[in-house]
Order: sequence, then C-alpha cells, then structure tokens
Amino acid sequence: MKPAPFDYIRPATVAQAVDALDQHAGMARVLAGGQSLVPMLGMRLMRPSALIDINGLEDELGRIECSGSETTVGALVRYATLERSPVISERLPLLAHVVRYIGDRQVRNRGTLGGAVAQSDPTGEMGLVCLALGASVLARGSGGERTIPIEQFFEGSYANVLEPEELLVALRFPLAPSRCRFFERGRKHNDFALISVVAVGSEDADGRWHDVRIALGGINDRPVLAPAAAARLEGARWDAAAIEEAAQLALEVADPPDDVRASADYRRHLVPVHVRRVLTDLAAGEDR
Amino acid sequence: MSDTVEITVTVNGTVHREQVSVREHAADFLRHTLGLTGTHVGCEQGVCGMCTVLLDGQAVKACLLLAPQLDGHEVETVESLAPGEELDPLQQAFKDAHALQCGFCTPGFLMTATALGREGRALSRDEIRDELAGVLCRCTGYEHIVTAVERYLAETPARERADV
Amino acid sequence: MSETTIERDRTAQRPNGIGADAPRKEDDRLLRGDGRFTDDVDPARALHMAVGRCPFPHARILAVDVSAASELEGVRQILVGADVARRSEPISVLRPVPGAPPLPFYALAQDVAVFEGQPIVSVVATSRAIAEDAVELIEIDYDPLPHVSDTIGALEPDAPVLHPGVLSSNLLATNPQGAGEPEERMAQADVVVEDRFHINRVTGLPMETRAIVAQWRPGARELTVHHSTQVPHLVRKQLAESLRMVEGEIRVIAGDVGGGFGLKLGVYPEDVLACLHAIDLRQPVKWVEDRLEHFRATTHARESVHDFRIGATADGRILAMTNTYTTDLGGLNSPFGSAQLSTIVFTGPYKVEDGYVERRVAITNKTPIGAYRGYGQPEVNFARERLIDRLARRVGKDPLELRRQNMLRPEDLPFRNPGGGLYDSGDYLATLELVVDAVDYDGLRRAGRGPRPDGRLVGVGLTSFVERTGYASAKFLANRGSQFGAHESVTLRANRSGGIDLYTGTPTFGQSSETAFAQVCASVIGIDFHAIRVHAGDTGATPLNTGAFASRTMIAAAGALKQASERLRDKALRIAAWRLERDGVEGLAIDGDVVRDPDDPGRSIALAEVFTAAIIGQGIPIGEEPGLEATAHFEPEEAAYAFGSAAAVVAVDPETGDFAIERFVMSHDCGVAVNPLLVEGQVQGALAQGFGAALSEDLTYDPDTGQLVNGTMLDYFVPTAADIPEVELHHTAVPSPVTTFGVRGVGEIGTIPPGAAIANAVCDALAGEGVELTALPVTPERVWRALQQARNRSETS
Repeated sequence: MKPAPFDYIRPATVAQAVDALDQHAGMARVLAGGQSLVPMLGMRLMRPSALIDINGLEDELGRIECSGSETTVGALVRYATLERSPVISERLPLLAHVVRYIGDRQVRNRGTLGGAVAQSDPTGEMGLVCLALGASVLARGSGGERTIPIEQFFEGSYANVLEPEELLVALRFPLAPSRCRFFERGRKHNDFALISVVAVGSEDADGRWHDVRIALGGINDRPVLAPAAAARLEGARWDAAAIEEAAQLALEVADPPDDVRASADYRRHLVPVHVRRVLTDLAAGEDR
Repeated sequence: MSDTVEITVTVNGTVHREQVSVREHAADFLRHTLGLTGTHVGCEQGVCGMCTVLLDGQAVKACLLLAPQLDGHEVETVESLAPGEELDPLQQAFKDAHALQCGFCTPGFLMTATALGREGRALSRDEIRDELAGVLCRCTGYEHIVTAVERYLAETPARERADV
Repeated sequence: MSETTIERDRTAQRPNGIGADAPRKEDDRLLRGDGRFTDDVDPARALHMAVGRCPFPHARILAVDVSAASELEGVRQILVGADVARRSEPISVLRPVPGAPPLPFYALAQDVAVFEGQPIVSVVATSRAIAEDAVELIEIDYDPLPHVSDTIGALEPDAPVLHPGVLSSNLLATNPQGAGEPEERMAQADVVVEDRFHINRVTGLPMETRAIVAQWRPGARELTVHHSTQVPHLVRKQLAESLRMVEGEIRVIAGDVGGGFGLKLGVYPEDVLACLHAIDLRQPVKWVEDRLEHFRATTHARESVHDFRIGATADGRILAMTNTYTTDLGGLNSPFGSAQLSTIVFTGPYKVEDGYVERRVAITNKTPIGAYRGYGQPEVNFARERLIDRLARRVGKDPLELRRQNMLRPEDLPFRNPGGGLYDSGDYLATLELVVDAVDYDGLRRAGRGPRPDGRLVGVGLTSFVERTGYASAKFLANRGSQFGAHESVTLRANRSGGIDLYTGTPTFGQSSETAFAQVCASVIGIDFHAIRVHAGDTGATPLNTGAFASRTMIAAAGALKQASERLRDKALRIAAWRLERDGVEGLAIDGDVVRDPDDPGRSIALAEVFTAAIIGQGIPIGEEPGLEATAHFEPEEAAYAFGSAAAVVAVDPETGDFAIERFVMSHDCGVAVNPLLVEGQVQGALAQGFGAALSEDLTYDPDTGQLVNGTMLDYFVPTAADIPEVELHHTAVPSPVTTFGVRGVGEIGTIPPGAAIANAVCDALAGEGVELTALPVTPERVWRALQQARNRSETS
C-alpha cells in the first residue's frame, strides 16, 4: 500500500501554490492535513502527478480573523485549533462543539477545516456546519479570488465547484444565530455519520424563531439544507405539531445511500426522528 | 520528477539530515532509515494509530505524514520516553496495570497519552476513552489501558510530565 | 466453593510464583519500543515482495503478461502460477475436516482463482513501492466465472461447483455426532422451539499484520525465516513440505508477534512465495502484509448458519437438543479451516443426554476461513442461548429459572455430552448465581421494562456457557487427521550466572506465556522469578512443541514445566548436598539464589556455584552426569472445560433500534489462575473482540459482484476505547482434575458471551413486541428491522 510516484512541491506562498496548480493543469492535489488524501494515495485510489504541500503557508492560511460580525477561518486552521480557540468558542460555538466529533485526537491535531470542505465528504461534519451557518468559501485561482456561497459549493459525493486549478483559502462565517443543536449517529465512536443533523436559529422574546436553518449529513450525496422544514418553523413558535411537520418536511431532501453503514430505508426512517428530536431539544433550551 | 528530497529533522533530540523518497511515509522513514522500530505500522489508512508519534509536541499518525513533511520539525517517538534504566512513569503505569499484551499498539498509546499528560487537564475515564480512541487494541479490551492513563494523569504532576 | 475474586496467593511459597500477580517479563522491551516484530528485522540488501491478487471472486486466468513489469527499474524477479506448480507443493492442512478430500492450495492460483485476493503473481524489487508499481504493470487476462457467496446457497443444486476436479458439489464434508435418542425425545416433547441463526463473518484483525523475512544461504542449505506466527514449529513443517526441503534446513524464528488470535496458525501462500524468491535471488526477501491485503488474504472466521432445536416438557425440562449447522470454508481450506468446536459444546452447561449435531462444511468464493479465538463456541452459544430464552417464554418461565432448572450440577460431573465433550468438573450454577446477584436480576425484574421517561425500554439478558480448552488427547486428534499432538514441550537449562534459560516453541503474541511459564518454574524450583530468562519461538533453539492455540498452552505446558523443573531442581539439590557435604537432599531447598542447609540456616551455597559445578562437571558427585538441563513433554489426560455466565442490561430506543449496554457482568472459572491479573487481561481482551463481533464487525460481500465491500479499516468497525462497555468481572476457581495444578484455559472464553447476552437483553426489552433476533451482529438497524417485522406480524395475524 505505497503511493504511485508523484512530484512533491512545497510552495513558499499562496501565489506559488496557485501557480503550481495551474502548471499541473488539474493533475495536482493539494496536501493540507492529509488525513484523507494520504490513505487514498497509498491505496492508489488517487494518482496525482504532483502534491502541493501547503503546510508551510501558515502565515497566509492559518489565521482566524474577525471583522465586524464576520469570522474568517484560514483553510489551514487545524481542527485542534478550532477545538481550543477562545475566538471560535465565543463567535462560532457550534463549530467548536462539532469539531470534537471528527475522527480522533491525532486526526484533529492534523486535519484542517479547508481540507475537510474541499474533500466534500457527504458525511463530513465541517461541511454540515458551514452549511448550517451559511458560510462562504474563498477560493483563489490564477485569475484571482472568488467567493462561493456554501449552498452552491457542494456538487455531489466528494465533488464541489472548485476548479482543479483553484486553492480553497478560507471559510468566512457570518454572525451565527444564537441557538444551535447538533446530533450525529455513526456505527462506532466518531465514525462517518450515517445521519447528522444541525438546527440553528434565534428565538425572540415572543417565543418565535428566526433565521432557522436545518442541515443534514449522510442522507444525500452531499450535506444538504432542509429549506421546507426550516420555512415551516421560521417566524413560528415551536410546538410539538410544528416540529413534527418540519421533521416530516425534512424528508424532502433525503436521498440516502445504501451502504455498509446503513440501508437507505433505515436512514430515511431516521431523518424525521432525529430532526424532530434535535428541534425538540433546541426548543427546550438544550443547545449544542 | 524528483523522487527524493533532502530533509533536516530532529528526532528524539538528535538532528538528522537524510535524503528521503517523496512517496515514503514518515513512519517508514523513522523505522527503516533511522532504525527507530518502536513506531509500528498497523494499517497505513490512518485508523489504527499504531504509528502515533509527536510532531512538534502534538500526537499525529506517522502513516498520514509524508517523510518530506518532517523537514524542519521535531519528532518524538516511544524510544525517547525512557533513555535510562528506569521506565518513565507512564510506562510504569502501563506495566503495573497490565495495560499491554502483545505490545504492538503500546507505543501508539504511550505517545498519545504522553501528549495528553503534558496538557495538564484533569480527565474523567470517559474523556480518557475519547482521547485514546485514535489507537486500536485487539488484545486488552482497553480497560487496563484506560486505568493506566488515569493513574498516570492522577499521580504524576503536570509539571513533571511536561518536563519529560 | 466460589468467591468473587480469584484468591491472590499470599501464602505462595515464592514471590512471583503460581497465584501471584507477577510483573510481565515481556513488558519492558515492549514499553520501550524495543520489541522485535518481524518488520523490525532489516537485513542488509533486503528486497521487498508485493503480490498481485485476483480482483474477482471466481475467475479463470487466461493469460499473464509480465513483460512491462520485468523491465521496470528495480524489479528483480516475478513468479507466476506455473513457476509455483513446478517448484512447490500445495499448502497442507493441519486440522483437516474429517472425511474431506484435499483441495490443492498452491501459493499462486493455477488456472482458476476462487476468492478475491487470491495471489496470482508475486514480484520482488528493491523497494515495496517499486514492487507495487510492477504489480500494476502486469497484465492479467481474466475470464470471470459465476460465483457463490452465500453459505447455504453454495449447497443448492444449481450453485456453480468450485472444485469440480475434486468434488461434485460445494459440500466439503459432513460430520455427524450424537448420543441417546434425540428424535424420540423431540416427539415426546410438549414444546419444541427451533430457528435458523446466522453468524456473521468477522476477522480477528491482529494489529500487526502477517509478515515474513526469508534468507537463504545456499552453501549451508539454511533457510532462515523470521515469521509472525503462533506456531513456528508447525510453520517449519509446512514450509519443508511445500518447498520440498527437509526440516533441518529450515529455521523459523517468531520474535515478538503483534497478536494472533488464531489467524497466524500455519503457512500462507505469501510465505512460500517469499522463500522461493529468497532462494532464487540469494538475497533476503521481506513481505509485510498491508491492511488491504489483510482483509482479503488472511483468514476470516465464524460465518455459519445454525438450525438449532430444543425440545422440552411443558414445565421447561429440556429433553433434547439438535443442531445442524453449516460453516463457510471460503474458497480453499486454510491450515485450520472453519470452526470445529460448535459441535463439542453445542448443549452448553445443560443436562442434555439426548442430542444430535451435524456439521456441514460449505465452499464459497470468499476468503478462506480459519481459526479465531473461540473457534465455533461463540457461534453455537448464540444459537442455543437465544433459543433457551425463547423456550422460557414459551413455557411461561423466567429465563433465569429455566437455566437454573436445567443446568448440570457439580455432582453430575464428569459428564459426557451428546457432542462428545467430557466435562471434567465445575459448579456451573455458581457462576450464574454470581452474575444474577451482581446485576441485581430480581431488582431489574421488579423494576420492569419501562418505558423510561425518554421512551427507552430496559432489558436484561443472560447466558451460560462451557468452553473446551486444550485438546482431549493425541488419540482424539489422530482420529481426526490432525497434524499435531496434544502435548507441550519445554527445555530448562541452567547457566553459570545462577539463572535458568527456559526454551519454548510457544512464541510471544500477547498471551503472557513468558511470564506464566517463569512463574511455574519459580514455584517448583524455588529460584527467583527474575533469574529465569525465557527464549521463545525459535525453532533453532527450542524443543519441538505443538504451539499456542485452542487455549491449550498452559493446559499442557504446566505439566511439562513442572516435570522439567522437578528434574532440574532435584539434580541441582543432589549436587548442592554433595558440596555441602550432606547425606542426601532431605530438607534441602532452593531459596532464591541459594540452596539452604536446613540444619544450619546460616549455611548456604550459591546457585551460581551449583550450576557452574554441573555445567563444567567439576565438583559434582561421583556418578552424576555433568550438565544441568531438562526437557519434558507433557500431554494432559483430557481437555479441561472452562465455564461461566454473563448478564447484559440494555436500554433500547424502540423508535430507532439504538441501544446502550448499561451493564455487562461476567463470571468465569479458569480453575487455578497462575497469574490472576493476566487472567483478567485475557478475559477483558477476549470480551472486547466478542463485543466487536456481537455489535459491529461484519465482513460483507456484495451478492452481485461477489466482492468484499468493507475491506478497509474505515469500513470494518473495530471497537475503540470509547465503544466498549465497562465490564464487571467475577471469578470462581474450581480446580480441574485433569490438568497439572488444576488450571483451565483462559484465552478465549471472553469471546463467547457478548452476542448471546446482548441479543437476549434486547429481545427481553422488546418482549412486548415479540422481537426475536436471530442474526449477528446486533446493530441498531437490525433491531429496528426486527421491530418492524414483529409489528407487521402482529398487524397481519
């Protein structure tokens, strides 16, 4: 299980990294945390002509920056940094909480937020949280930088709209709603989710909810929002009936896979159950 | 295409300058170039954790790092824990609690727990289980490993652990 | 009498003797990263092997073109099937299925490959990466053939016959066994419960994969093989046969072995290949299995289908049991093949005199099955114990009462069960009462099943079991064609430092035999435990033994250790007496590093002096032979049967099938424990593997493509430290009358109870819905499906 040959490139700047991607015309892969990429290389499921190791670009890609209500997290910020960052726990507590459900200590010490989003695993926790929080993806190519709303980023299983010559440089998060709840079920501790659910929103003094977003992982070929379910709850007080209706509406976005972790039937069965439970908990004041 | 690259890496306090194959992973480099065979390889898929070493003080899986990525960094392996006659307190805790059987996974647990000890956090058994979940063991059933780490964290002052 | 903990032998005559929690001899080197596992052996100029494997479950090999690969820089040699047929013999079976014809198992597939992962070509190159590059360049033209992956389906008349030259169907053999008049009793029974139980295909997954380093010195005709194995002497025998060599030319060295669990019992194709390459190239050849290969090329285990039946009177007295079961062999017969112990313990700890059990072995296009910790016993325990619970519900009794009612009592033993097992001794009911008390069974029953405020339902499940440890006798094995004996062998040799070198062919793979062996010697001889150095696993240095499997090591080795120790001790004492100018050895004893004069406690002689005198033959009694060593071989008179019980308490979410194991209590009896702490470690470890197989591990083949769908660490769910429930262990210690010191084997018993106890607990929680689980693993989805079925049944009925 040794990788096929490749060229190893260690750029000194993001500009050099983008140049290298351009030169390899889509045949190169970016090496960030490497927690998914390196096993794929070993199994020879990926055979890039070159690896562009961006781990030396901490100055440009490893920062967490706050600007007004926005928080920008560099692509190279590692999970363990998110886990322990006071800025993240204050401004994006959902992100700080969910990151602990990723892999294990070693993986979190090495894996990166940008790497996870670029990997676009349909069960990935980071894509799910970015979706729930309405983040934007900042990508840089030879033509400059562009901003991609996360809702338009994922294209399918392990697929996204990044051009092969583009480097994901950061995730930008708007002000997070005040309330959030996360649930995940895997086949073993911190395994890939067979279903994951996030609900966020803000409850006003009148008991009505606003900015409601519900995101689901593991039940489609990409992490998805459940807009109909969210719409049912937007501006509403959440009683059991409203929650049950929203939970059923979440099924609209479920197109689950049949795989070794669970059947499509079972996943479909779990969607309204866990959406209902997450919403019920959130309504009851049990956050995270 | 350049097949090899020169790296300078500090391993267990010794500076090494070596030519490495770019497609070699760090665990193979440590084992077969430097002869530090205490770091084991169990899956090369980033799951089993046998190959856990400390990279700049952080526990990482050495099968998920390419050897060229070690350039300019510091690595600690299991061989660094007890340079003299005495076992270090963590190793002794493993021995006392019968926390190893075949011993193949042991270096992975020791290095993971070494990094954990240096953090100086007080942890429950469940939190210890979570922190150790990145290393698999098929012999012990984990109970004794959790006990060894629990005792080590409880009995060895954080400052002493950080001094290692 | 039973007690809740193994009694620490505080009065042991020696510190670190039998009964003490002696510190492990293996630990220091392993803790320092200074073990020597096979891949740690790096001879100069070593070459590296990679193997090209069949991607199909069943395919004819039409052509193999190695030309491009041969030209790759760094490639030294490529072997194809024809080379292997010319140069070697098929791998032998060490524990054949009685009545089975041999299925030729060449190191490389000949015309047809019968499982995904079967070796087709092997390449040796200057690095593993280059060897893998070369494998990719080899063009193999396959004609995929119809495959069969279902165990029962393989026996259907329309299934493709996988070894048509040898057999006319995929049934390798049938092995019936029974006693009494089971069918008559079934006919008389008021109640008969029966069902089909599916046991999942799992693998032991040692953390160290298989590995070999082969070196050949042509002038000396010496093949040195470093090998990750449980049985170096059997590997030597098999290599000699396959390579057409004599055993004297082969030395197998098992250094530290990173777990075995039954998977490292004997020779695999890659071992033969590495040796052939090393001989041809006259350079060391290393092969370390990678984890992708491991999932396809190292034996799997357990997969079987049990049709179990119990007949009883209306008040629950069991009259008869029958079990017709089919084990899945995979495509070829590995050295140990599919499990053989479901037969011998199929009636468990119950008083059943009329029974019939039949084993059928089915060939399928899957990775060969081999031994794995338990070897048939967890499988049959699941089937029987699930039915015991069902029988209890049918006759309106609590499952605990039904077990109490039918369990063998100490006065019933020894007892010959219908599977042919001779239970030696024990108090089976005591282990059940221990767990019942510990788990507060009555309290749980009073509290009821719920639901709790969160909607979850609570259940408690029991299981009791008997485990055969060791082998009955060489005669028993001979009748079954086994290529090994029932004895164990050990050599003790004194050295001039006053220590003893202990030589054993049992290698070190986590079972702590170095420590336990030294404890026995220290107890018998009186020498300091630390003065004993164990040399394990090198066929060039150790007596020809059987090997470490079937929980048999201590069963047999204890006797060999005792005899060798007594002989060495007695001779040392004769020499000491002579040097102390005493008449005879009366009262003399070794005490640590000296021999003490009983009449003058201040007077002693150093063991180093006694040993040196013997070794150089100077200053020893006239007529005494020089030298001080002893080799002993010992075969116990019968197998010893360990036993135990377990209880699981679960809380089940009836909406999702999720469940939490809130308590797991196990009691067991392994007779006299040589080292109680190590015994506990063995039980905990086997339990963890039992939980894995019961809850999450499940090697799955796509029925359409016949390919393994979860052959990676990411998709095969091995429990982590965060997945295993905390276990409460209790012990009883009834000495076995058939072994030295009264020991019973202990390595495997923990694998037995998890599946049955957990499934019974879940079914108990869902008894109101009529849920009956009949397959492993017990996953939340499976529970949910069983609930759906039960609800559908009740709607339609």
